[in-house]
Amino acid sequence: MMIEAVGARAMGGVNNIGRFTRFAWQSLAASFRSCMSPVTYPLIWTQMHLIGVRSVPVVMITGAFVGMTLAVQAYDQLAGMGLEEHLGVLINISVVKELGPVLAAVMLAGRIGGALTAELGTMNVTEQIDAVRSMGTDPIRYLAAPRVVACLLLTPFLIIFADLMGIIGGYFVSVIHLGINSRAYWSFSASGVELWGVSIGVVKGFFFGVALAVISCYKGFTCKEGARGVGQACTEAFVASFISILALDFALAVIFKAIYSTFWPLKSLV
Amino acid sequence: MEQDSNSNNAQNNHNDDLIALKSVTKIFGGKVVLENVSLAIEKGKTTVVIGPSGCGKTVLIKHLIVLLRPNTGEVYFKDLRIDNLGESDLNKIRTHYGFLFQGGALFDSLSVTENILFPIRQHSRITNWAQVEDLVKAKLAMVGLDGFQNYYPANLSGGQRKRVALARAIALNPEVVLYDEPTTGLDPIHSDVISELILKLQRELGVTSVIVTHDMTMAYKVANRIIMLHNGKIIADGNADYIRNHPHPTVQQFIKGQVSEDDLAVLRMSGTVSQAQFLPRDFQ
Repeated sequence: MMIEAVGARAMGGVNNIGRFTRFAWQSLAASFRSCMSPVTYPLIWTQMHLIGVRSVPVVMITGAFVGMTLAVQAYDQLAGMGLEEHLGVLINISVVKELGPVLAAVMLAGRIGGALTAELGTMNVTEQIDAVRSMGTDPIRYLAAPRVVACLLLTPFLIIFADLMGIIGGYFVSVIHLGINSRAYWSFSASGVELWGVSIGVVKGFFFGVALAVISCYKGFTCKEGARGVGQACTEAFVASFISILALDFALAVIFKAIYSTFWPLKSLV
Repeated sequence: MEQDSNSNNAQNNHNDDLIALKSVTKIFGGKVVLENVSLAIEKGKTTVVIGPSGCGKTVLIKHLIVLLRPNTGEVYFKDLRIDNLGESDLNKIRTHYGFLFQGGALFDSLSVTENILFPIRQHSRITNWAQVEDLVKAKLAMVGLDGFQNYYPANLSGGQRKRVALARAIALNPEVVLYDEPTTGLDPIHSDVISELILKLQRELGVTSVIVTHDMTMAYKVANRIIMLHNGKIIADGNADYIRNHPHPTVQQFIKGQVSEDDLAVLRMSGTVSQAQFLPRDFQ
């Protein structure tokens, strides 16, 4: 009996993974086709406004607080060793490489992921997705692809906004509030932060954007009946997106570190 | 299978069949919802599927357009097997269909005009906007809602939503229109408006209609043929007179809207209202 239950759960899990993988593949293929077809540009444009433009304030606020908090937390440790002028490099590397991208993506998973799942989930339970299919239109192409493309293209830009505000927030607390010399702050920052660090932070945005969009759309497309079903789908979408962002961040950190170790030293030879 | 003999006669006449189900079985989570159902829908006729709630009517109608795929059995449209087609091929077939969903399934974020234009935009490139406006106006006039072009679904009543959904369903001039409970939630007058619209579509456009309902007034009014579904099986199939006089007790009980002896026995066993324990009004 117990073995049967475990087996059934395992089969269910494998089925779910299979369904998600197929959905993700279909969404990415449809997104690629959407990019090639000008007819779908208005749909993508609308989603870019809803997903991207309206997320700018919340992402900027997140970034600013990350930078300010880092300054407050790190100052005492560095000042104890007489290295307070190095505060800028610590804040800015942390913001552009890790905290800016990850926290901006988590904020987007909450703001956009929840909204996408709720919208598509409601469409699912009110048969609007079936209505799209009944009119001979692929709902993944019409509903999921524009959202995936919008998240893919705009998450990196939103991360740049978060980075920028993190840097400004860190500067404000370090120089204006804690009284660190401005010239030293920027000169240490410039020597420590490389283009590579900024780039990997932004590149992570493409992966985070696709992950949160595909997961949120999938949860919306497969949500169960009723208000409870939609609510549960939203919660699951956020948790799954959050874990995916952290897992992707780790995987990308390992990959980028390997690439950096292999190729970046060659830069000096060029 | 316990299938009505009249139904088999209908299936043998293949010349005018537009859609056919052959031995379709559908199982959800171990529960058999449709069991070995065979059915042929005649071109240009109105077929009404009746049956109690939860008997598989909606599942049946969704199989006709392959929104659901059967576990076993086959679905044909114009002698072409469609249940095994990929979604992209199915989407071409689905342009021959219109589907009126139970709740209308209008897109909340789109206006009435944009809802009606949705299938047109998806399947043709609009170049002449004046012509499109005339088309939307004509479709809305057909359902008696000309002037509602700029309304949003949230601003419409239940009956108006169903009529807009019907205008959208016929936007591509489909050969067949499927109606899922078109009168549910409507008052008798608006139900009759929907019935008249279905008759008008058949008369003026010659569309084939399949209607799922438990509204017997509508069924008698619009049906060329009535099929009764019970526990996932067809138990009666024929014209209105045939159904009215059908000997099967379940059919008679359903069309007359009578509670069964079994249900009455359950009610008797559950005690009287006066015996029920009520909490006092000031119970905290």
